[in-house]
Amino acid sequence: MSNALRILTVDDSASMRALLLHALGANGFDVAQADDGLAALDWLALNDVDVIITDINMPRLDGFGLIEQVRSGRRHCDRPILVLSTESSDEKKARARAAGATGWIVKPFDAEKLVAAVRRVAH
Amino acid sequence: MTAHTPIASKPLTRITILQGQARVSAGPRVEFSTVLGSCVATCFYDPEVELGGMNHFLLAEPPQGHAPAAVDEHYGVYLMEVLINEMLTYGAAKHRLRAHLYGGANMRAGMAQIGTMNADFARRFLQQEKIPLLREDLGGTSARRVEFRPAHGQVRCRTVANTLVSETTPTPRKPAISGDVELF
Repeated sequence: MSNALRILTVDDSASMRALLLHALGANGFDVAQADDGLAALDWLALNDVDVIITDINMPRLDGFGLIEQVRSGRRHCDRPILVLSTESSDEKKARARAAGATGWIVKPFDAEKLVAAVRRVAH
Repeated sequence: MTAHTPIASKPLTRITILQGQARVSAGPRVEFSTVLGSCVATCFYDPEVELGGMNHFLLAEPPQGHAPAAVDEHYGVYLMEVLINEMLTYGAAKHRLRAHLYGGANMRAGMAQIGTMNADFARRFLQQEKIPLLREDLGGTSARRVEFRPAHGQVRCRTVANTLVSETTPTPRKPAISGDVELF
């Protein structure tokens, strides 16, 4: 069984998912991916995770909704959640923080900074 | 340069889209304009809400250690996402978006085919995101001027003198201005 940290990335952009898969996979993480908040919740119902990385603007269930649902559940309520977004407004950061996000990363992401942040919040 | 035949009596509001910018409008008298060398401009249009947007990007050189022929796609994906998010904010739906691509010329012989790499990235992005590409005018060795009326989805693309382009060269992405991490 792998000891690699398991990361769930949630983003509706296939291109962004490909960049994240490459950046995280190349650094030894076990990466799972979902294309919106509802798909992420479906995956989380059946799997364990060490860190969740989520976009904000997504169809069906956005990043804010996903964070609220994870925090109000039992299974993953203590897992770190990093927001990865093109947005950088203080109002949206405050909303994410209030919902229970662990941190905020502004796109375009830098792979080294992203990996460092994941390792930092995972331990 | 030939002037447009006016659609109505009110004058157009012309907005120039510079490299690194993305703009959206539903204004019936708005026209986005840009001049492209090796850069690529994407025009998105949602016919149901009559909303359009344009971006203008040049991919950065890859970070050290990457293959020399590759370009760093992070910035291109970012600027595409900024434009799509802006479209969605004003009522567009991603599944209704239609795209045009322009630019991607290789204007200097003997230099890396930066224009081709930018064009290839843009086509690949649209394929991955399942956004139909209705029209493209990419490649070649000539600069282009693109004029896009976002509320109507109308585009005009013409070749222009290469001297009209202040050709920019790709620069490495600056780590300090991207990917900032803020832990709460």
